[in-house]
Amino acid sequence: MRSVETKYFGTLPCAEESVFEFPLALPGFEDQRAFVLIETPDSAPLVFLQSLYRASLCFLAFPILVVDQNYQLAIAPEDLEALSLETGRQPALGAEVVVLALVSLHGGFVATANLMAPVVLNLKPRRGLQAIRRDRVYSHQHPVHGQAEAERGCVPC
Amino acid sequence: MRPVLVLRRRPGECVLIGDEIEIEVLAVTHQGAKIGIRAPKATIVLRKELRITQEQNALAGQGLSTADFRDAIKKLRPKTQEPTFLPDKRFEN
Repeated sequence: MRSVETKYFGTLPCAEESVFEFPLALPGFEDQRAFVLIETPDSAPLVFLQSLYRASLCFLAFPILVVDQNYQLAIAPEDLEALSLETGRQPALGAEVVVLALVSLHGGFVATANLMAPVVLNLKPRRGLQAIRRDRVYSHQHPVHGQAEAERGCVPC
Repeated sequence: MRPVLVLRRRPGECVLIGDEIEIEVLAVTHQGAKIGIRAPKATIVLRKELRITQEQNALAGQGLSTADFRDAIKKLRPKTQEPTFLPDKRFEN
């Protein structure tokens, strides 16, 4: 089994099939095309999107429904196609795709989540993409506190 | 923010920006306006939301210093200690 050097957790074993390929990379990190998703009981529901080839690059993220339990997907048809998903409908959260909001820290642990451009992970095949919304329904700096604290119970990613 | 110049253009009509950039309205439908841009190769043309995403990713990619990690995770987590989902049966296909 291969291993992956991580920013926060040292070196972890990593099955080949747990790697998500990002054929279009992430905007701003055009050379990073493979990530693994790390979840730990200590940090749940916060998860980590660790670059496979750059240990120092590890995004903090929330499953999007943790940030906004009424979040409505609006993935553009060309993004669905790039993910090998059906283009005529939005995919099922949790069953077909995991959707994450990347977290930014603004000093003093003030955090925001990017709801404008969620990271969509297709579970089969394991392929990921940052699906930038064309509408202006959600903010790229949605405040996380309060939202996350009010969240209870089980939600799918 | 600079003031905004507002122009009304119909399909087929153009706007010039400086000497080298030309923007043509190709079509307007209920889904939006289709525009064509003629500009020198060195001019970067980006959808604005892509630039916003690049900048936001750059900030998100800074993450935490490993020294701050445990503290920060505690503060970022919801106050309730109930697990929001079990790690990680979903991925064992």
